[in-house]
Amino acid sequence: MSKISLIVASEKIDKLFPAITLATTAAISGWDAELFFTFWGLLALKKGYAPSGVSLDYKAYEEKLTQALASGSIPDWKTVLEQGLATGRIRIYACSTSLGMFGLKQEDLESFVDSIAGAATFLSKAKGSDVSLFIS
Amino acid sequence: MNADITVDAKFKSCPGPLIALADTVSKAQPGQVVKLLATDPAAPSDVKEWALSTGHTVLAMEKSGEVYEIFVGVSG
Repeated sequence: MSKISLIVASEKIDKLFPAITLATTAAISGWDAELFFTFWGLLALKKGYAPSGVSLDYKAYEEKLTQALASGSIPDWKTVLEQGLATGRIRIYACSTSLGMFGLKQEDLESFVDSIAGAATFLSKAKGSDVSLFIS
Repeated sequence: MNADITVDAKFKSCPGPLIALADTVSKAQPGQVVKLLATDPAAPSDVKEWALSTGHTVLAMEKSGEVYEIFVGVSG
């Protein structure tokens, strides 16, 4: 079984979307996907989170993305994630340090979060990955 | 080539076409043929790789104007 591991360190849609696209594509291709949400990435796991925009550096292109999302040519990130989660092959970990930094608790996070984890736990889950990326 | 089910994913960007195809194939019966309609230029290569990973078979690929027609045989 192939495996992809991703560290998601941004909650902005231009980082979140590629991360979730890779995870879901892997999952529907029969791969396992291990995702660790850390620093600002953790904010994407808050209940009811909706991305408010793109990273500041790319603000000039935001309208392009808004249009593509509105027309449906680019799917909504949450819909893509749900398709991946339905396979049962995606596991989502919330960084314990970031959780503490934001003063959040597990009950503040979406129910699809598998567990709160630290670096050693994620390393163990990610060990032996065929593809591993840090997305920030 | 005739298809049992058609998935219309025209004008959808990656990963839209593959997600739509995978969803339909997961609900289809073994032996059925699913036809994917896509305009995403990555679709032919993506479907080929996905089929290699999942064991389904790409039976044929055609292009009609800007639209790819990709026929996938559902494995058991």
